[in-house]
Amino acid sequence: MSANRWLATGNYFTTYKEEQRIFLTHTDRLIFSFFLVCVFVWPLVFETNNKSMLVVDNILIAMIAVLGLNLVTGFAGLISIGHAAFVGVGAYTVASVSRVMGDDYILLTHAWPAMILASGLVGAVFGAMVGLPAFRLKHLYLAIATLSFQMIFQWTINFMEFFNQGQTIFVGRIFWLNGEVGRNEHYIFWYYVILIILVLLGFMVRNLLRTRFGRCLIAVRDNDRAADAMGMHPGLTKVYAFGLAGFFAGIAGALHAYLYRGVGIESFTLHESITYLAMAIVGGLGTLNGSFWGPAAIKMLELQVEKIAEHAGDMMPASMNLATALRPLTFGLVIVLFLMFEPRGIANWWRIIRSYFKLWPFRY
Amino acid sequence: MTYFFQLVLSGVVVGSIYALSALGFVLIYKSSRVLNIAHGQLIATGAFIAYALTVWVGIPIYLSFFISMVLTFFLTMSVERIFLRRLIGEPIISVIMVTIGLMSILDGLIYLTPFGSENFSFPRFLPKEPISMAGVSISWTQLVGVIITFAMIGAFSWFFKKSTVGISMRAVSDDQLASMSIGISVPRVFGLAWATAGLSAAAAGGIIGNITGLNFDTLHAFGITVFPVVILGGLDSILGAVVAGIIMGLIQQFASGYLDGNWGLNGTGTVLPYIILLIILLFKPHGLFGIHEIERV
Repeated sequence: MSANRWLATGNYFTTYKEEQRIFLTHTDRLIFSFFLVCVFVWPLVFETNNKSMLVVDNILIAMIAVLGLNLVTGFAGLISIGHAAFVGVGAYTVASVSRVMGDDYILLTHAWPAMILASGLVGAVFGAMVGLPAFRLKHLYLAIATLSFQMIFQWTINFMEFFNQGQTIFVGRIFWLNGEVGRNEHYIFWYYVILIILVLLGFMVRNLLRTRFGRCLIAVRDNDRAADAMGMHPGLTKVYAFGLAGFFAGIAGALHAYLYRGVGIESFTLHESITYLAMAIVGGLGTLNGSFWGPAAIKMLELQVEKIAEHAGDMMPASMNLATALRPLTFGLVIVLFLMFEPRGIANWWRIIRSYFKLWPFRY
Repeated sequence: MTYFFQLVLSGVVVGSIYALSALGFVLIYKSSRVLNIAHGQLIATGAFIAYALTVWVGIPIYLSFFISMVLTFFLTMSVERIFLRRLIGEPIISVIMVTIGLMSILDGLIYLTPFGSENFSFPRFLPKEPISMAGVSISWTQLVGVIITFAMIGAFSWFFKKSTVGISMRAVSDDQLASMSIGISVPRVFGLAWATAGLSAAAAGGIIGNITGLNFDTLHAFGITVFPVVILGGLDSILGAVVAGIIMGLIQQFASGYLDGNWGLNGTGTVLPYIILLIILLFKPHGLFGIHEIERV
């Protein structure tokens, strides 16, 4: 094996520890740091406006949520049709503080990092509770359990006076070191907050997959009986996976609440759950970078669909809302087509392209 | 007391429709182990086809009811052929996700039609006055609906128990390899299971449409309430689907009859089935009549 990893033509591992490094080569590390710098610097270099920043922020929040969904659906192999409800749990944690204490209570405006963490923990508790049937049952039943959680969540929000019956609950402007974050800095400020959280959580997932628990997840997905025989506890692993997914979703929800400065039920319906699932599938189930490709691709698609609907809507009778029809239609098609023709998602294209350049000029 | 009996009666009416909706779901699960998440959309499709044929084309309602069943039969058969046939042998999780995608596609297609946003109701073809007996009343539509429902359930049970196709379906659900070796075409049985499920979904849709009016949200909600019903009854038991359907209908009616309006509760009928579902999953996951050989961790 070559001692100089800069010049190595392939990955030659001699220990397990080497294989499990976060970055396999120095080049990977270099490219990643360069990418990270680019991501942090571009809003300062280019002219941004609030509208495009909102889109970017949305994509990043969806990435956080899909990181969680990918843990439970991709790595643990359990379908979750209620992920939007878990996101909603996080958002409504923030909203209920605002409801009880008023929307400019100090906890909301000054201690917002603690609020975000707390929402994540509440989400984790709910996730673990819904995952409890996993102690006895397999994926099929869990899909139904998460679906019923989605329905219970929607009912709770829609019928309870405390949650304003699904109408928007406002959340006040937050404060940073130099005073209140105003209207103009709002989206750029949250871009950085969300980005930092996303990077942290991304590393967390990457690290998680290197640990005993991460290997447990994959073992349980591939064959739970074998995993049981190897001394793992499949039920507990699945419940943990649900709890973690709930944690990620809760954080995404809290960020959503702060970004929009309000919480309403329409962002956490069954359709949104299916959208999250579409993101995970399109990105590539069971891959880490799939959690980043998927939301970006789906949100871009959504923008295009809205544009088309707008154009076509001019020619159509006004009574018809084309956007509400085209959104589920395209997402459904995307889910079905990806599952049929590219079940490994965009992450697989990425892998193919990478290996092409890595091996160039040889074909394999 | 009259109130109680009225609730029991309407519970049985609603419950028998649940039973019919759940029947199609159970058919698919029994033969191919696939959870069809898109069942509510199939119910809605059947109802809308029946309405379109009756009102826009002008075919008599009995006939259009029948034609919508046939059309949905072929629709679901082609859905199986196009989307699910090539996924045979793939992990069951991706097949279930394909049905989630189908649900979304059908949602979109329905939103493209006027049915997605507006409410319609079938033209009245039965006497308007409800039948009253000792203070308890049932409308003609409901009565006819229940009778058709039970007739259909009877026909399906007969089909499953006695006919050659039904027996081959049961054989496939029992052991795919063994049934292949005695000459049953497993893909064909899957297609038939989907087709019959579509047929029963269309029948359920037509009946619901007549009783509650055509509203996509209501029909969709019916489709999702099928889950608590089949879990309570046991995922692969037709008898279970019928019994659990009626139990669920009674629970819903009692909940909305006695709980709503008290203690600030509202709309409990829609949420109680799901709470029960979660409890059943925790304590008795094979349901009332399901086989105990359940996929355990």
